[in-house]
Amino acid sequence: MGTKAEPRVGVYICHCGINIAYKVDVEAVRDYAATLPHVVVARDYKFMCSNVGQEMIIEDIKKFNLNRVVVASCSPRMHEKTFRKACEKGGINPYLFQMASIREQVSWVHEDEKEATEKAKELVRAAVFRVIYHEPLERRFVDINPNVLVIGGGIAGMQAALEIADAGKTVYLVEREPSIGGHMAKFDKTFPTLDCAACIMTPKMVAVGQHENIKLFTNSVVESVEGFIGNFKVKICKKARFVDEDKCTGCGECAKVCPVSVPNEFEYGMNERKAIYRPFPQAVPNVFTISKLGESPCRNACPAGLNAHGYVKLIGEGKFEEAFKLIMERVVLPASLGRACPAFCEKECTRGEAGGPVHIRMLKRFAADWYYENKGTQPPFEVAEKKDKKVAVVGAGPAGLSCAFYLAKEGYQVTVFEREAEPGGMVRYAIPEYRVPKDVLAKDIEVIKNMGVEIKTGVCVGRDVTIDDIFKQGYDAVFLGIGAWKDRRLNVPGEDLEGVYTSIDFLKRVNTGERPDLGRKVAVIGGGNSAIDAARVAKRLGADVTIYYRRTRKEMPAFPEEVEAALEEGVKIEFLTTPVAFKGNGRVSKMELIRMELGEPDESGRRRPVPIEGSNYEVDVDSVILAIGQVPDSEVFAKFGIDLNRNGTVRVDPETLMTSREGVFAGGDAVTGPSTIVEAIGWGRRAAYYIAKYLEGANLKEVKPYDADRLPVVDKSQVFKRERFEVVERSKIKELPVEERIKGFAEVEQPFTEEEAVKEGSRCMDCAICCECKQCELACEAQAIRHDQRDEIIEVDVGSIIVATGFKTFDPTPLYRYGYRRFPEVYTSIEFERLNNAAGPTEGKIVMKNGKVPESVAIIHCVGSRDENYHRYCSRVCCMYSMKYAHLIREKTGAEVYEFYIDIRAPGKMYEEFYNRVQEEGTHFIRGKVAEVTDIAETPEEEGKLIVVVEDTLAGKVKRYPVDMVILSVALEPADGAEELARILGISQDQDGWFIELHPKLAPVSTASDGIFLAGCCQGPKDIPDTVAQASGAAAEALSLIMRGKVEIEAATSHIDPEVCVGCQQCREVCAYSAIDYDAGRGVCVVNEALCKGCGLCAATCPNKAVTLKHFKNEQILHELEGILL
Amino acid sequence: MADKEFTPKVFYALCAWCGSGGSETAGAYWLKYPENVRPFRVMCTGALDSAYVLRALIEGADGVAVSGCHPGDCHYNIGNFRARRRIAVMKEILNTFGIDGDRVWLRWVAHGEGKKLADTATEFTEHIKKKGPSPLKRWDT
Repeated sequence: MGTKAEPRVGVYICHCGINIAYKVDVEAVRDYAATLPHVVVARDYKFMCSNVGQEMIIEDIKKFNLNRVVVASCSPRMHEKTFRKACEKGGINPYLFQMASIREQVSWVHEDEKEATEKAKELVRAAVFRVIYHEPLERRFVDINPNVLVIGGGIAGMQAALEIADAGKTVYLVEREPSIGGHMAKFDKTFPTLDCAACIMTPKMVAVGQHENIKLFTNSVVESVEGFIGNFKVKICKKARFVDEDKCTGCGECAKVCPVSVPNEFEYGMNERKAIYRPFPQAVPNVFTISKLGESPCRNACPAGLNAHGYVKLIGEGKFEEAFKLIMERVVLPASLGRACPAFCEKECTRGEAGGPVHIRMLKRFAADWYYENKGTQPPFEVAEKKDKKVAVVGAGPAGLSCAFYLAKEGYQVTVFEREAEPGGMVRYAIPEYRVPKDVLAKDIEVIKNMGVEIKTGVCVGRDVTIDDIFKQGYDAVFLGIGAWKDRRLNVPGEDLEGVYTSIDFLKRVNTGERPDLGRKVAVIGGGNSAIDAARVAKRLGADVTIYYRRTRKEMPAFPEEVEAALEEGVKIEFLTTPVAFKGNGRVSKMELIRMELGEPDESGRRRPVPIEGSNYEVDVDSVILAIGQVPDSEVFAKFGIDLNRNGTVRVDPETLMTSREGVFAGGDAVTGPSTIVEAIGWGRRAAYYIAKYLEGANLKEVKPYDADRLPVVDKSQVFKRERFEVVERSKIKELPVEERIKGFAEVEQPFTEEEAVKEGSRCMDCAICCECKQCELACEAQAIRHDQRDEIIEVDVGSIIVATGFKTFDPTPLYRYGYRRFPEVYTSIEFERLNNAAGPTEGKIVMKNGKVPESVAIIHCVGSRDENYHRYCSRVCCMYSMKYAHLIREKTGAEVYEFYIDIRAPGKMYEEFYNRVQEEGTHFIRGKVAEVTDIAETPEEEGKLIVVVEDTLAGKVKRYPVDMVILSVALEPADGAEELARILGISQDQDGWFIELHPKLAPVSTASDGIFLAGCCQGPKDIPDTVAQASGAAAEALSLIMRGKVEIEAATSHIDPEVCVGCQQCREVCAYSAIDYDAGRGVCVVNEALCKGCGLCAATCPNKAVTLKHFKNEQILHELEGILL
Repeated sequence: MADKEFTPKVFYALCAWCGSGGSETAGAYWLKYPENVRPFRVMCTGALDSAYVLRALIEGADGVAVSGCHPGDCHYNIGNFRARRRIAVMKEILNTFGIDGDRVWLRWVAHGEGKKLADTATEFTEHIKKKGPSPLKRWDT
């Protein structure tokens, strides 16, 4: 078609029956059009889109030799294609056509006929002005991928999937719940036929599960969709179900042993399910799923990563041996830890906000004591096959023992070298006996020995043997767990006087049975845990003890419980003071101190103590214990090629814990400076992991990081949202009375009894739901449990998408007057559906919470529907299911049923007949909106009942109906996440949130996004027959698309004029499709037409106007603009 | 003519997807808005060249409204973000020219938001009415 030829335009004005003509004077517009430049012919017709209308255009093109066509009618979305096709048939390029929308944009939206006609004229004028500058474009087609994505596995999704799969095409069916089935799987009977939902549904579910053309993704969500009709790229997030779908046989042994129960969502919280569960027995796929939200806060807080949630839960179940085993998987010395751990876990315990944190530490102590008493000190693990590699561990403290134990567990030969006479490190020598008795520690160490660890005491590495010697003796790796034993000094005069002790030295003496003569007045200097320990020990030796600390109580690093206990026992503390000299003749007798005040914060964030000039004073003392911190005793190791930090700590790689010397690792206080037992144990275990990897010959920089599989911590606030927790007070720990305590070194805390332990364990709130106690793993013979499973992203290519995400039921809690959640006998319809279901929580017996059969039931219609405050629409199914309930209640219980309705809506095959039948059965129908449901009785017969207060609008009276049970027929709402999905798919929602179909009459399953179709309730409330019909319709649309094989895409792409382009590449930056390449040779940008979608961003961005979007060229737009605004 | 109440010419640029869709939804629900609002289709709000807006004001529009997909919903992924930036800048430039930048509005309208489209058209007309005719018109005749 020559574009150079003189434009000859034909203009056609449509009446659209009277849709346009009733507001727009069509003849006037036609006559006006005829006067416009280049217009050869102008006509009007009743229906331009009809065959006759199209023929009119085709004939005119031939008769008048037209080369441009304008149609003023509905909207381009509606009929642009139709008229383009007509143009093509007439022999002109379809892009030499322009449409003016005078129905959607004029007649339907305007009141004034004169104004509307004027506007129609202008729009026609603009179209004529524009079309004159149109150029022919080549039509473009792309292949259609024959695969289909169906989102939602309810009855709609299943139906659509089956239709397509049966036609031999591949379907990816994505369902976010663990099983397909949707709401229909929850129903008992279906109206009006009263056939059993499960009986008609289950075969379909099985068919979907077994269909070779259906790839089923349950517990999965669509994460992103890119592309366009025929070629969508979809990312599906397959959420970890922690069970191998292929191996699980659905036997249910796992659920029997699972200690965690949570409200059952499938039964709307009317009963409980386990953390490992299957929503219902007929689930497809018939596999179990574990609800695991992450890691519980307690477990996350533990420096050693000990699974507190798991063992607390097991103890709550009375499974003490299993609890002990779970503890030993992450820590050694459990009995000692159970006594002396600062319990970081308890500080994070969510139960802290509902009665006080669970006594996690005491429960660990209980489990360990129980095991030693009942099972001995054999470790609860089978020793792995012995490996020939040997590891030397230096130091038998918590870090060293932990490292040794976990290496031995892996089968390595481990020898621990300890310079003291007994193993245990600080736990043995620094922690006083009243906190951790020595026989308890001995048992803890016994377990480690029984794991095959050899402990050589009295060997000081560095003095007796060197690191080189160790390697020469055939050890393949070394772990340094030498702790921090060297006491810091004050560097003041008189520090060397007799009677001045350092805390570690002092505690060690007492712990080895020595009873130093302290005299009467003892001063302890410092505010840390060892200061408190030293003070409490000195107290037990009969001294009058005062702690002198240079800051205030707030800054004390000691644990508050310890400080509290010391004060209880009569230890005095003086704050804001520090010694400047110790005086005495040979033995200390006086101490000179200076008062302090707090200045600016220092690097630790605490305010720095500053001495007050001239505030010196003296006190009498018999002994002084310096407890101002410790550093590692590490200088000697520098000689062996091990780098140290300036403060004496060992320098390690923070991840792998390897020191500067190959094969030598370090951890615990030696690396961190003084910390806690549990932290040291955590270091030891981490080192064991990397040492094992090192011995396997792996490159430590490339191995999977330690604890890489751990999940993020759960949000505590979410736990309270999940369910309502009662406040349960934490049990009191029995303690030895103070007077008993200070007499000797007897243990202060008294253990839990078995009953107390179980009770305390059951206070756990299951923050993460699954506690990873791994009982399921043991119970599963198919070995299907996979606690290490993680979410997986799967990418699929599809050509079309069917959305079938269904609905959710309205939560009537905000309708306070109806008493939902206030009165136990008020149910929502979907809850009643489960109550009535043979597989439901009552096995299908309609009974009240007290077990009695109701004598009268009220059913309240339109709860949340047809209500200005909630949803204005009618939910369509409630009248019918309410009548179904009436029938079933009468059939099962003989109770009187009252239906409170506004209007009965029963349009459907056999629906009205069903209404008649229910009426005849004796159900009472009361027309009126219920005012309230109350339990305040006005007469004796109302006593103990729920009274439904309603204005009977037929009788014109306010009436009160006392009933036993109330069912609220709640509205249907768009499913959760509909908004998110609409965004992902680029489809629209109406004001109520339902997805919008392309056309309410003629395209009820298509959307405005080509290639995306709707099925079922996601488009609006509908019953099962309509849902199934629409699903089949959507399937037919998708199949029709597939059968076409090709689809036409936008012909209007961008073009860059190389003569004008300066190669600034701004267009490349804005292109969302990477459709613009830079030709460096010519220094210009070039459009890749295959990728261009024709949005025109580049054209608007180009500062040089080198880019034009075909069909939206400057001259076309500006002339159209002129036509509108002339 | 001079006595007649001022009826502004409003130029309403709509993207081919949500904006036009919104106008169709408004039509389908027969929602009314003033006749002086002239809809104009561009492929994407991001493709609306500043030159077109200026040209519209020069050619006689008293105000320019722009509507397209909500942020995150753009049919072309990011076009509406470009539009948002461009229009923010455009307003500033118009201000420096002595043409009130508030004669240009950008408001997101989804395909389903027919009511929002009609409301925007009505509100914008009222808004421009208060402002009076575009100063560029004084050079006319």
